[in-house]
Amino acid sequence: MKRPVYITQMGVLERRGNTLFLENENGKRAIPINSTSEIHCFKPVSLTSGAIKLLSEKNVPVHFYNKYGYYRGSYMPVEGQVSGTVVVKQAEHYLDTEKRLYIARQFLEGIKASMIALLSSRRAERSTIEGTEVEGDSPAELMGVESRLWKEFYSTYATLLKHFEFDERNRRPPRDEVNALISLGNSVLYTVALSEIRKTYLHPAISYLHEPLERRYSLALDLADIFKPITVFRVILRLVNRRQIREEHFSRDVGVMLNREGLKVFLGELNSELDRKVLHPRFKRKVSVRYMVRLEGYSLVKHLLGDRRYQSLRAWW
Amino acid sequence: MYVIVVYDVDVKRVARVHRFLRTHLHWRQNSVFEGEVSRAQLYEIKRTLEDIVENGDSVLIYELPDGRFNLHVIGVDKSPAGEII
Repeated sequence: MKRPVYITQMGVLERRGNTLFLENENGKRAIPINSTSEIHCFKPVSLTSGAIKLLSEKNVPVHFYNKYGYYRGSYMPVEGQVSGTVVVKQAEHYLDTEKRLYIARQFLEGIKASMIALLSSRRAERSTIEGTEVEGDSPAELMGVESRLWKEFYSTYATLLKHFEFDERNRRPPRDEVNALISLGNSVLYTVALSEIRKTYLHPAISYLHEPLERRYSLALDLADIFKPITVFRVILRLVNRRQIREEHFSRDVGVMLNREGLKVFLGELNSELDRKVLHPRFKRKVSVRYMVRLEGYSLVKHLLGDRRYQSLRAWW
Repeated sequence: MYVIVVYDVDVKRVARVHRFLRTHLHWRQNSVFEGEVSRAQLYEIKRTLEDIVENGDSVLIYELPDGRFNLHVIGVDKSPAGEII
């Protein structure tokens, strides 16, 4: 299984004798390129042309984030999986309101199920979320339902946190510790979804719940949302309540951000949650949460091609 | 699967083995590499090493089920393996 690499220090990525190296004043460190699925850079990292050549050959994308943990962009090797048929079908299901609403509603049901899965594992109050009907005659109405769900989710979530204040979600930049963690986690999940979508035939810019916009891959947003409660929010809850993330892991200027130590703790835990394997009821074998993101993509492709109706994930763990 | 590769080869070939292994595994300390690889990768590692080694050379590959093992470090941990740099 190839693994992601997270870089939390400044440096230069370069190629030396078919290996990728991260070089900086602390020295050189080899990155086993054949075992790497993608690279996430949280500090300024430069890529030499040799590095880019090697990354392209091995098909390893590099994602960049700014200091507040927001996604800034990626170096993506040339598209690997291309299928005109799937893209045409994807567009068809976007343009036909009925078809689009079906998929959007499925995404929303998936988000709701994940929220319930997390809250019930903590025996938290969830009747309002359970009672929220996923109804709407337009994508905009569904987005309204989504924001109601998140609002309700946040307020219950706040009561579960034993340390740190969390009153409301704020961004760009995040103004408190929990918001900083959520922002960073969501960005990482977004790029994971993007990396997984690129392994399928789907076009990452044609989305159903989110409106497809310029300059971003909104299908990755659609898929990432399903997994947010059971990955990002689960990990934050665990780290905060066990005091593995504490005040000294943050620094503050205009906003709040994790320092290097904090980054390491948080990314390590988020990565192992994505690697966590759960028994898949249909496959009768264990699959990782990260792989389930790709499975959502595959089921969507099947739906678009008319093989099998798409049923979004109902998190059960 | 998680593997540990330990090698003891003639000094003429040490650099070649090192250069090759670091494209797949994390360098741990002199002549020791470890990391998670797929079955196909393990096959490639074995095949390539077979091509490199010559008489008297010795390479050991330990395959660890689930990567579960305890590590006791005495002295310095020269290069902790891990995905977070």
